[in-house]
Amino acid sequence: MNKTPMNEDDLKQLLQQQPPAPDAETKARHMAAAMAAFSAQQKPEVENLSTVATPANETCASEKKSNILQGFFQRLRLTRDTNHHGTKPMNTSSFEQRPFWQKPALISGIAASSLAVLAGLTFMQHLMINSDQEELAARIAEQSLSKTVPLIVQEPAAEASVSLQRVEKIAISPKMKAEVQPMALAAPAPMVEEIIVNQPSQEFRDRFEDFKENSVIATSENPVSTFSIDVDTASYSFVRRMLNNGQLPEKDAVRTEEMINYFDYAYPLPRDKKTPFVTYTSVIDSPWKAGNKLIHIGIQGYQLAASEIPQSNLVFLLDVSGSMDEPSKLPLVKQSMSLLLDTLKPDDTIAIAVYAGAAGTVLEPTKVKEKSKILAALNNLQAGGSTAGAEGIALAYQLAEANFNAKGVNRIILATDGDFNVGQTGDEQLQDFVERKREKGIYLSVLGFGQGNYQDAMMQTLAQNGNGTAAYIDTLSEAQKVLVTEATSTLFPIAKDVKIQVEFNPNTVKEYRLIGYETRALNREDFSNDKVDAGEIGAGQRVTAIYEITPVGAQSGLLEDSRYQPKNKVDASNSSEYAFLRLRYKLPSETKSNLIETPIAVARKVKINAEYQQEVNFSIAVAGFAQLLKGSNYAGNFTYDKVIELAQANKGKDEYGYRTEFVQLVRKAKVAQ
Amino acid sequence: MNAADQSELIRTAQGGDSQAFAQLLANQYDSIYRFAYRWCGNPSDAEDITQLACIKLAQTIAQFRFEAAFSSWLYRLVINCAKDWYKSQNRHQHDNIDHWIEPERAPDQTAENSIYLQQLLGLLDQMAEGFKEAALLVHGEGLSHAEAAAILQVKESTVSWRLHEIRKQLQLLQQQPDGSWELSL
Repeated sequence: MNKTPMNEDDLKQLLQQQPPAPDAETKARHMAAAMAAFSAQQKPEVENLSTVATPANETCASEKKSNILQGFFQRLRLTRDTNHHGTKPMNTSSFEQRPFWQKPALISGIAASSLAVLAGLTFMQHLMINSDQEELAARIAEQSLSKTVPLIVQEPAAEASVSLQRVEKIAISPKMKAEVQPMALAAPAPMVEEIIVNQPSQEFRDRFEDFKENSVIATSENPVSTFSIDVDTASYSFVRRMLNNGQLPEKDAVRTEEMINYFDYAYPLPRDKKTPFVTYTSVIDSPWKAGNKLIHIGIQGYQLAASEIPQSNLVFLLDVSGSMDEPSKLPLVKQSMSLLLDTLKPDDTIAIAVYAGAAGTVLEPTKVKEKSKILAALNNLQAGGSTAGAEGIALAYQLAEANFNAKGVNRIILATDGDFNVGQTGDEQLQDFVERKREKGIYLSVLGFGQGNYQDAMMQTLAQNGNGTAAYIDTLSEAQKVLVTEATSTLFPIAKDVKIQVEFNPNTVKEYRLIGYETRALNREDFSNDKVDAGEIGAGQRVTAIYEITPVGAQSGLLEDSRYQPKNKVDASNSSEYAFLRLRYKLPSETKSNLIETPIAVARKVKINAEYQQEVNFSIAVAGFAQLLKGSNYAGNFTYDKVIELAQANKGKDEYGYRTEFVQLVRKAKVAQ
Repeated sequence: MNAADQSELIRTAQGGDSQAFAQLLANQYDSIYRFAYRWCGNPSDAEDITQLACIKLAQTIAQFRFEAAFSSWLYRLVINCAKDWYKSQNRHQHDNIDHWIEPERAPDQTAENSIYLQQLLGLLDQMAEGFKEAALLVHGEGLSHAEAAAILQVKESTVSWRLHEIRKQLQLLQQQPDGSWELSL
């Protein structure tokens, strides 16, 4: 009971309680007073009526009471003199009494000052009118903005455009006042809605999966490290957004592998489609800890030629719930989708499903040829209502299955801020559902939007289990990168369930640590088990993984030698390799995995290509940056300045400016500290 | 009494018929008093305001033009009277304490509620001009936002916004163990 805040019901109850009945005596007194006032009010009117009836009296009365020639005009009255003794006053200054030479100056002075007053008045009037106009325009603009907060999903955009037109009319029209009234009526109660809608965004409710950074492992205890590849880039975009706002991102938002894989490292492409990857490995000294080495693993996917690009059957599943009603959400979604439309072939099909309070189909599967129809459907969308995400996903799978293209790529592209608050909302239930659908050959990609209520964990779960990728779209240029520049890798998978296993050689490696991929770790036995799901690689995509190792004999290790376990005898015959890399993948249509094996040698025999070395160095700069952002225990003596130095030196051609932007981000992180 | 009868009565009163006016006032007296009571929260002030309002009604009934509902016009009149009365009271440096409660005129339960009502009204008075009217019309009299807006001659959105502001202010009020409300910051 105690300490509950007062609510509206209490207010109503208090205000609505019946007041005690009015005292009868007082009431009578009041009535009498009122009646007296009433009759007093009637009397003068009666008198007036009588004067109207007698016009002769009226003229006389009007003459008597005339106040026309009073005050300023007093001197015009038909009186002989202003004083009563008929003499002219001597000492009061008047025009006639002035010396004659002063008269012209006086007259011109009066004329000039009256002109000045007139000019001043005109100017003031002008100012007032203009300020009115500005104020009005600002108010109308505000109203028309808040007008785009409708509550119905499929409300036609026509109404909004009508009100916009009206705004223009008002801003130009000189007869403003007449137009203001209908405008004000056209925007009912905008303020309250605005406040309610905006409130959640002020809270910080972004949700990320908790994870602990990979720790150092002794090769003697566990020589094998297994993980699934991850080509998502969401983490980097999110971190960028936070840093651009001048804030450091929360530590769980920084996934090192996604930061590294954001960049388009120019690893040499594989020659044919048969083995869709080439793997590159190199060993370099760790820039953040003397004595340690970094094993850099780069995997480059096969790039499809334009003629090889299969048909696509896409279903856009768009979140149009109330939470999407922000400039960085639904409008950006629409722009992104129309960008993607441009990269598709005319024969590809697109369907659009939306969900808010309930899910619905906005556009049945339509060929990309009918672009105007698709765009019209997109542009009609408006945000409002709750979020029945699970229902939406079920509907999207239904649409994709209905139009299933056995030869092409079937993909659902989900655009959301990740907030599912209606229906089966648990991450796990949804995961099960998506997993079951995955078997049918439908991919699910997730595009994340917005901030303040961003449900990263949910997005990751969906994309990972739906055989898809998760990207975070913070700006239109990021949409351009993901959906246009890298459209082939976003849309067309060349391999699925790609797993990497590295076995370290205890003769040469004392301890090792995988940088990033914490959320992608697999069990050792999962590697050869084709039932276990792992990440996909799109056409032309590249994946980078970095291990930090402490070679045997180096003093930079963190683990103490075991007292009881027998010391490894160095086997000279087997000490030319640090590790052995195994990579398993399935072609998109196959269920059996293929294996690629590469040894990682201690000493490199071939001379390293300078361009390749540059890409390796840049990825290490990114890894170092991610570790610093996470406050990693293993960041050594690396600093933001060293990151900038290393990145600047290895920027390369940087056609799209992503690497320059990276350097800027490091600077911002340094300031935000 | 239906609307047609009422406007007939008003017209007759405007014509100077004191019988009709007496009838009209008798019909409206209770609602005037009720609203005045809700405005100030105690009977003696309510009576003063009611008297002012009755006299004002007598003086201005001729100016009613049938452009709005009579009830709206009357609400506006009572609100103006109440405001005028408060101004005159403040000029006299009236101490709030001595017209808070008059237990001998009201049963205990009402007296207690009256205290809470006083507190609430005090809070509303502290807010900007127009908030109290909006709360009383919508929550007290049960009018819609649009009706209240018509009476206060503001936009409907303004009424909605005022009520929203009040709601936010109320969140700051905490109910104490003894049942009274206190501002917690």
